[in-house]
Amino acid sequence: MTTQAFSLLRHPSLWRAGDVSPSVPNGIPTGHAMLDAALPGRGWPIGEMTELLTDCSGHGELSLLMPLLAGAEAESHWRIWVAPPHLPGVSALAAAGVRTRQLIVVRADTAGERVWAIRQALRSGVCSVVVGWLDRVDNALLRRLQLAVREAAIPLILFRPLQQARHASPAVLRLQLSARAAGVLRIDILKRRGAPANQPLYLQGAGFDAPLATAVVRRAAPPALALIA
Amino acid sequence: MRWLALVFPDWPLQALFRNPSHTRPLAVAHRQRVCALDATALAQGVRPGQGVADALAIAPDLLARPKSPEAERSALREAAGCALRYTPRVVLEDDGLLLDIAGSTRLFGGLDALLRHLRSDLAAAGFRALSACAPTPRAARWLARATPGQCVADDDQALAEALAALPLRAMEADASLLALLADSGLRTVGEVMKLPRDALARRDAAGLRRLLDQALGQRPDPRPFFEAPPQIDSRLELPVPRHDSDVLLFAANRLFNACCTQLAAVHAGIESCRLELEHEHHPPTVLTLTLGTPSRDAHRMALLTREHLARLALPEAVGALRLKAAHWIELAGRSEDLFGPQAPSPARRQEAGRLLIEHLRARLGPDRVYALSACADHRPERSQQQVEPGPGTTAAAQGGRRPLWLLPEPRLLQTLRNQPWRGGPLELVSGPERIESGWWDTDGEASPGDALRDYFVALSTDHAQLWIYREHLPPHRWYLHGLFA
Repeated sequence: MTTQAFSLLRHPSLWRAGDVSPSVPNGIPTGHAMLDAALPGRGWPIGEMTELLTDCSGHGELSLLMPLLAGAEAESHWRIWVAPPHLPGVSALAAAGVRTRQLIVVRADTAGERVWAIRQALRSGVCSVVVGWLDRVDNALLRRLQLAVREAAIPLILFRPLQQARHASPAVLRLQLSARAAGVLRIDILKRRGAPANQPLYLQGAGFDAPLATAVVRRAAPPALALIA
Repeated sequence: MRWLALVFPDWPLQALFRNPSHTRPLAVAHRQRVCALDATALAQGVRPGQGVADALAIAPDLLARPKSPEAERSALREAAGCALRYTPRVVLEDDGLLLDIAGSTRLFGGLDALLRHLRSDLAAAGFRALSACAPTPRAARWLARATPGQCVADDDQALAEALAALPLRAMEADASLLALLADSGLRTVGEVMKLPRDALARRDAAGLRRLLDQALGQRPDPRPFFEAPPQIDSRLELPVPRHDSDVLLFAANRLFNACCTQLAAVHAGIESCRLELEHEHHPPTVLTLTLGTPSRDAHRMALLTREHLARLALPEAVGALRLKAAHWIELAGRSEDLFGPQAPSPARRQEAGRLLIEHLRARLGPDRVYALSACADHRPERSQQQVEPGPGTTAAAQGGRRPLWLLPEPRLLQTLRNQPWRGGPLELVSGPERIESGWWDTDGEASPGDALRDYFVALSTDHAQLWIYREHLPPHRWYLHGLFA
């Protein structure tokens, strides 16, 4: 009886709530070991929408994506940023290893135009990553993006204001980013495939690797943590 | 020698309207008499040869346009351009084409396959043709006029038999001459063939005998071949002026398809073209379609047009469309990718990338889609520029630590007790990094281009890392210039 039950537990179609879902296909490593460990696919999900909910600006929220954007891929792969809130700094991007000539910046004002541009980018099949900044947007439009990204099979990352966390979204991964201390980014995983996460992650400084032992960070510390140089 | 004759039924009508999707009956009149009409008009009782006034009395919503020889000629050249894809030897007739297909039948997989391709090309451009095939051009044309669909083998006996069965009106000869023969009781071409030569000559019908000899292949029948001019200028009239982009796009598609088939025939592509939407009371609205790379892809042009039309406010309904494309660029054919669309080649990806950019630009505006590249300048606001996206690397960063977000314009910061302030005092973490450059750049007294600044990395009370600077010269104001995001 017991052996039968145990063999049942090993059945591939059985999913235990305690597991981070094993059936999730592998994602693209985020470049931050701690974050990878907490994500179901050990990285940014491919062919799925990821939402980064944040009101940060200047807290390292964009540095989080630099390893993904800098990924050493073929020359013909493009990356596209739809409606970034400020001008991307070329020197910092180049220093992070991003090929800025293959980074298409699209300026679009209305939510409709932004969603349209993102969908075009997904459909074209030439982009390896699409990053978009969206404010309030209709759920139906988000669902369309979700369908488009599934076909495109690349990661789609959306930056959205924190207040959108209250609203439901078809994104499979939702991370809330906030500032913990200077150079320390707090990540709450609001939604992921598999077991819900109840521990926030703290990513720190350049590598974002060192787990933060104590909650107290001395503010006056010299910038040992160059976010992006 | 093998000739394929194409005859466009109701050519004056086709040349003007190109088989539009319409509900109103259409007709074309010459000297106030109906000379061509569509099926709707025919069903309502309009007949060729009727006066326009009579026709309008029968079908009140009939749309009658005067015959336009110029439009017919240009439409015929366009159709010939499509046909050039199947043979280099194309002859223009009044309302049709003659194609010498002896050399290309095999290449396109037999006569049936060739005809199928040719018809679909013509249909995409809005033309409908009847066809026949024969060993001589004149015989092919007569057959196409009288009994379309026939294909006569290369055999004198068979040719003579096929021609003998044709009615007299199939011969393209002087109408009075044909009337004379008809009055003598002759009904078919075969009966004319049996007449002795001198009998025909006595009735001033020697010319008729010459035509017959040419049709039978007993007398040379040289023809000048059509050569496509290296530019496209085609026009299409809408039966009724329309406003809705769907109808306009449908009509534009006809022009694009014709244009691209012509381009394919001469192995050329275009980089840009102009689509003019003509209005009755306003100057034409001009859409400039930029394709990015040389191309002859009608689908691509249609996509761009759709974006333009979505963005555009037309001053008035559109009565006609005109497509102009000069500057043909040689464009060789391309091999298919070995592993199919799953693993497209770099060249194809490059092209898809160009298409994406042009597509985005068509809707959002040309200056809103760009890539960035570094410039050799120390001033942060001039150290980068917008460039065309494309391959290539950016030089590594120079100088100190730079932020990921730059503000387009440095933002003046408040100061409190000589301390920069942004929702709280800003703590200077590192710096200063002095940037002193650009004294040579002066665009007027008001905004001198030179920068004398001390840059700092500062920490705000909400833990944001900012890139700020202090002016080197009095009044030593503080500015926010970037965010370490």
